[in-house]
Amino acid sequence: MALLEMQDISISFFGSYANEHVNLSVEAGEIHALLGENGAGKTTLMNILYGIYRAESGRIFWQGQEVDFRAPQEAIRAGIGMVHQHFSLVNAKTVLDNILLGDEQVPFFLPRKKLRARVLELSERYGLKVDPDALVGDLSIGEKQRVEILKALYRDIRLLILDEPTAVLTPGETEQLFQVLKALKERGFAVILITHRMSEIMNNTDRITVLRGGKCVGTLKTAETDAAALSALMVGRELEVPSNTAFCDDSKEMLSLDHVSVFRSGRKRATIDDVTLSVHAGEILGIAGVEGNGQKELAEAIVGIRRRRVRGSIRVEDQDLTGTSVCVRAERGMAYVPDDRQHDALVPGMDIGENLLLRQYNHVPFSSGRVFHKKAIRKNAQDAVDTYNIRTVGSLGIHSPVRMLSGGNQQKIVLAREITPGARFIVASQPTRGLDISASAFVHEKLLEQKRLGKGVLLISADLEEILALSDRIAVMYNGRIAGVLSRAEATVEKIGLLMGGMTGEKEAVA
Amino acid sequence: MKAVRILTRVLIYVLALAAVSVLLIAASGADPVSALGIFVNGIFGNKNSFCEIFVKGTPLILTGLACALAFRTGFFNIGTEGQFYIGAMAAAAVSLRCTFLPPVLRVVGAFIIGFLAGGLWSLIAAGMKLRFNISEIIVTIMLNYIAINFVGVAVHSFLQDPASGLPQSERLAAEVTLPRIVSGTRLHIGFFIALALVVLIWFILEKTTWGYEMRLVGLNPRAAEVNGISVAGGVVRAAMLSGGLAGLAGVIELMAIQKKLLEGFSADCGYTGVLIALLAANRPELVPVAALLYAAAQVGAAAMQRQANVPSSMVSILIGCIVIMLLARAWLSGRVSRRGKQRV
Ligand SMILES: Nc1ncnc2c1ncn2[C@@H]1O[C@H](COP(=O)(O)OP(=O)(O)O)[C@@H](O)[C@H]1O
Ligand SMILES: [Mg+2]
Repeated sequence: MALLEMQDISISFFGSYANEHVNLSVEAGEIHALLGENGAGKTTLMNILYGIYRAESGRIFWQGQEVDFRAPQEAIRAGIGMVHQHFSLVNAKTVLDNILLGDEQVPFFLPRKKLRARVLELSERYGLKVDPDALVGDLSIGEKQRVEILKALYRDIRLLILDEPTAVLTPGETEQLFQVLKALKERGFAVILITHRMSEIMNNTDRITVLRGGKCVGTLKTAETDAAALSALMVGRELEVPSNTAFCDDSKEMLSLDHVSVFRSGRKRATIDDVTLSVHAGEILGIAGVEGNGQKELAEAIVGIRRRRVRGSIRVEDQDLTGTSVCVRAERGMAYVPDDRQHDALVPGMDIGENLLLRQYNHVPFSSGRVFHKKAIRKNAQDAVDTYNIRTVGSLGIHSPVRMLSGGNQQKIVLAREITPGARFIVASQPTRGLDISASAFVHEKLLEQKRLGKGVLLISADLEEILALSDRIAVMYNGRIAGVLSRAEATVEKIGLLMGGMTGEKEAVA
Repeated sequence: MKAVRILTRVLIYVLALAAVSVLLIAASGADPVSALGIFVNGIFGNKNSFCEIFVKGTPLILTGLACALAFRTGFFNIGTEGQFYIGAMAAAAVSLRCTFLPPVLRVVGAFIIGFLAGGLWSLIAAGMKLRFNISEIIVTIMLNYIAINFVGVAVHSFLQDPASGLPQSERLAAEVTLPRIVSGTRLHIGFFIALALVVLIWFILEKTTWGYEMRLVGLNPRAAEVNGISVAGGVVRAAMLSGGLAGLAGVIELMAIQKKLLEGFSADCGYTGVLIALLAANRPELVPVAALLYAAAQVGAAAMQRQANVPSSMVSILIGCIVIMLLARAWLSGRVSRRGKQRV
């Protein structure tokens, strides 16, 4: 008897199925991967199990009994915990408070000492190191995730669901997470893991259920399959993984940064410290590094979002853009794919057409004299949906609010907007974060296409595989500085890894 | 299946409201059936009472529009009451004290100055929000108290009618009041001005780059910043327009209905604007519907009070219930599971 048995689950939104007759069976003591492209319905299926959505048809058996959770609290009480794609912690409270928050079992007068001991004991047992008295707002993303897991474990669960837990983690943090999951598995817990990274699946899971287009296309034993077979099953065809083969030898500089520093108000130390870099025509310069070492500040200084407290000069081709506004730089050919789709790149509450307008709304043919031309806007949206094959929501078409689209489709909207014929230089920051392999392949292909067109690309990514597959040269950032620049030929994971940790090689920090 | 569920929930709403009404009427000692007859008759009974809907609805359309615009654009203006008074006071000053101008210019001037005064009044809150990051909700509420009491000072001093000695201004001369359009009723041209403004605001918000920028700032200020669109510009525009509309509500109420400035003459229609916007889901095109329904309920309730002795505050209670139900409308559309966790 399986621990969890979901049978024939269906649910639809706006007339299209997000889950269609899906079956999922999970045993105690296994790590079960749920694999599928963005929008395949993985999160939806887990939300049904967790009592957030209600299935239109199908049955769920938990420990042999049919259940119908109508709220997460009921699922938690039955022994199911879930860590969502987006965390739900209160930044202003301590770790301990966050763990106790919303627990129905906590008595009105808190026996704090006892509860604290319990949390400490749990974190000791499963290797979830975190200070219970620290403010959640001060924690790193990896630590926040440990708090989420602790919060779930604290409630005596038997099944832990993790929705894309590694998308935001550094390689080290990912390693730690899998240690924890192994410990859980040994103690008889079941884990459902959603991830897009094949290597994580192959190395850590026992079985895999693959979803495609809302349907279940199979459950496999990990030992009996391989990454290529899995991705074919998931995408429905063989997938070509694009990589950079034609290296650049153009000497024309597309972007040059000359001694650029960025300061934060009230801080003495620069967040970007004297960075000198250049990117040539037809070149992809990869910026590797552990996140938070100044990559975002660098990107924002280049595209002009940060202008105050920036020193040094910034040129694109032969135009000096130092001190100019975002709009001026965009007009001169600067394109930006931000790392944070939901906040920086898109307006989730607006529809596809309106999001595509963000850069161009003030220009013909979309408007003249401040009045919009509906036809041109609609045509622009329809063209983007067609050429980029953006999957809209059911009958809403181009009027789908962007909030309802999957991450991959949201990113396609950003690319459609930013990568225009007029774009000369593209800053792409974590462009495939949270995307599935085919969407990632699409983004990579798009960036390589820009390279072939002779544009310059700055690719900022925490994903080393991505950096190595696409870059002509690789600069590593550490502590706001360029710790080293490697040519593609000399770059290895080990060398980059050393630089990422702050050990400068023999090479000077100038490109 | 889903439609049936939603329909039954709407039915539950309606029945609940009906039950509350019947209980309230019965509690006030009247016969619910005849009281309801009086309510309906009070609205549709004669030309005069029917036109009263539009008279009472006009300022509500404008304050509702002011709030809807503000809420759509991320400027949470709760200060329409104060802006209403400031607009009315400015209009009174122009039409009473600028007698050196011909009447037509005084009327036009009252509109322009009233709009600017209301707008600038709410701009104070926008400035504090942008400069010091203080919640505009709190500032606009505080500005309400200041504005209301400022009008109190004005009608005791520079806008007081010296002849009467009462705390009110002199009556506006006939040539600076707004014309009526149906004889025997108070229906005036201001209603159509309000409707025209609804169309204008809808057009600005939905069809112009100006409105796009404002909505963008309201929905995601960070994306505006990243794309080089001025957040401050959007907020200032929203504050000016919203405050100006509330100011115009005061101007029109003064020049068409009250015809003199006195304390307490807004009848709370500034505050009610917040409610109207809520009922209209912050959509300008729905504001007139919400405002007129609200006004009709008021007119009917007034009749009930006169003829059946049912306190008209009953309507306020009912509207309070409706608003609470609307706030729970996520439940109505089935978007929330039982424990009230909002679905994502
Ligand atoms: N609340 C919702 N409203 C409308 N459509 C939704 C909603 N939630 C999910 N969907 C749609 O259901 C499909 C599956 O989404 P999801 O389960 O999030 O995919 P995954 O997690 O596999 O990337 C997508 O096409 C998505 O647009
Ligand atoms: Mg998902």
